[in-house]
Amino acid sequence: MPLLEVRDLEAGYGPIRALDRVSLDVEDGELVALIGANGAGKTTLLMAISGVVPPRSGSIRFAGSPLAAAKPHEVMRLGIGHAPEGRRIFPRLTVRENLELGGFMQTDRAKLSRDIDEACGLFPVLGERMDQLGGTLSGGEQQMLAIARALVGHPRLLLLDEPSLGLAPLIVAKVFEVIASLSARGISVLLVEQNARAALKLAHRGYVLETGRITLTGSGAELAADRRVRDAYLGEG
Amino acid sequence: MVFFLQQCLIGLTNGALVAMVALGYTMVYGIIRLINFAHGDLIMLGACLALTLVSVLGMAAWTGTATWLGVALLVLLCGLFCGGLNVAVDRLVYRPLRNAPKLAPLVSAIGVSFIFMNLGLFWLGPADRSFPELLPATNLLAGEGLQFTAKDLLVIVVVVPLMIALSVLVKTTRLGKAMRAVSQDPTAAALVGIDVDRVIAATFFVGGFLGGAASVIYGLYINTIGFQMGFQNGLYAFTAAVLGGIGSIPGAVVGGLVIGLVRALSSAYVGERWAGAIVFAILIVILVFRPEGLLGRGTKEKV
Ligand SMILES: Nc1ncnc2c1ncn2[C@@H]1O[C@H](COP(=O)(O)OP(=O)(O)O)[C@@H](O)[C@H]1O
Ligand SMILES: [Mg+2]
Repeated sequence: MPLLEVRDLEAGYGPIRALDRVSLDVEDGELVALIGANGAGKTTLLMAISGVVPPRSGSIRFAGSPLAAAKPHEVMRLGIGHAPEGRRIFPRLTVRENLELGGFMQTDRAKLSRDIDEACGLFPVLGERMDQLGGTLSGGEQQMLAIARALVGHPRLLLLDEPSLGLAPLIVAKVFEVIASLSARGISVLLVEQNARAALKLAHRGYVLETGRITLTGSGAELAADRRVRDAYLGEG
Repeated sequence: MVFFLQQCLIGLTNGALVAMVALGYTMVYGIIRLINFAHGDLIMLGACLALTLVSVLGMAAWTGTATWLGVALLVLLCGLFCGGLNVAVDRLVYRPLRNAPKLAPLVSAIGVSFIFMNLGLFWLGPADRSFPELLPATNLLAGEGLQFTAKDLLVIVVVVPLMIALSVLVKTTRLGKAMRAVSQDPTAAALVGIDVDRVIAATFFVGGFLGGAASVIYGLYINTIGFQMGFQNGLYAFTAAVLGGIGSIPGAVVGGLVIGLVRALSSAYVGERWAGAIVFAILIVILVFRPEGLLGRGTKEKV
């Protein structure tokens, strides 16, 4: 049984149907890339998994339990971490407070502080900025904080929504390096990216989402070699 | 000089009372961006309960320590009552409208305000009621100068510890951190595992509790309550919250004290009937130059 199993999921906003019978799996330990143009429904899919956008039909199962009617905080407590699009760190809380909130379910303070140190181990720059307000960090640092915040709670599955968006190439490389190392440690990752080349290179498998539908799926290498993917998302053709 | 200091003292004690009510407006606004029009009337209901308790317990006959313990009991019970009522209103009225257009909860808040006022009319009757003078009006300071009575002391011993407790709650506790997170980005807060509805309910409780405590002080300090007291007091407190920067907790305290001082000094030096006009004139001037209020942040919307 896959760790995450999405079946025939439909969701939307008022008259807009953003997801049209989407099915997708993430196996335990897998890194899965989800690529697609702007407005394809990638963010909506992650938000539906997290319980922020309510599904209209279909099912979502995580580690065997159904999620479709769960509220976001219940989903997160089952072991999902979500670094949302646009980072959405808490701008007027310090870096430390942001990270503490990432471990909101952890009530043992000593354990929480170890978890925070561990998450900062991946991003040493955060350790130097602990008492700074989140909003004063650079874009790259904010992205690192968003990922670290999602990691403090020790998720089994990490949802990453466009982590490289708007970052300088050097920072992008650093972020992808961290994603690879998380995956190597056995954390399952569902990675949404516009930077399809880098994402497919890293991913075990990938899905292509077009206007709410999954149109292609395959291993990362297969997708990267696919004519249609190369034309539409890799800027070749 | 003594006269001036006396007016300042009156202003500060009245202002502390305004601040307690302003906190309820600012906390609810901070967490769900709702101007809770019913907050003033909630406090009126708190005062109704306080009056009922005072007569049922026969507190007018109590003296010394018993009186002070009785006052502490009133603060606790009226605080729990207003906090609980505020949570119930959030659960029944505002929560179902959480994702509705902003005008829907606002209009509902006005509706709740009228319901509360009618309950108050039922409870107290149409005429103003006098609230027993439980605390002696004798001067606690030696000499003929400044008057500082048990009533002034009451304001200090109730307000100061509650404000300290509030500040500790918001700054250092897990709940306080969750409150600040929800006020900055409720979706992101949910995504880290915070039960947003519970945090909002807790905020309504705390704001209501402070209002309930204020209602007891109001009764004991002003000694007249009526079913319409919520409107005017709510208006001043809301003004204080806006003046300090709505959504800002220290702002509500500063705004309350400023309004109390301005009101007392203009009553004393210009005339009672000008006090309201002067308060609002100053409010307008400050908001022209600092639209975000004294301690508020810029109102840049999130992108
Ligand atoms: N909050 C919203 N309200 C209304 N429509 C939305 C909202 N968020 C997204 N949409 C619409 O849903 C569709 C999918 O959007 P989204 O999931 O953000 O796509 P992606 O992340 O792939 O760019 C788009 O047509 C978008 O305009
Ligand atoms: Mg998106």
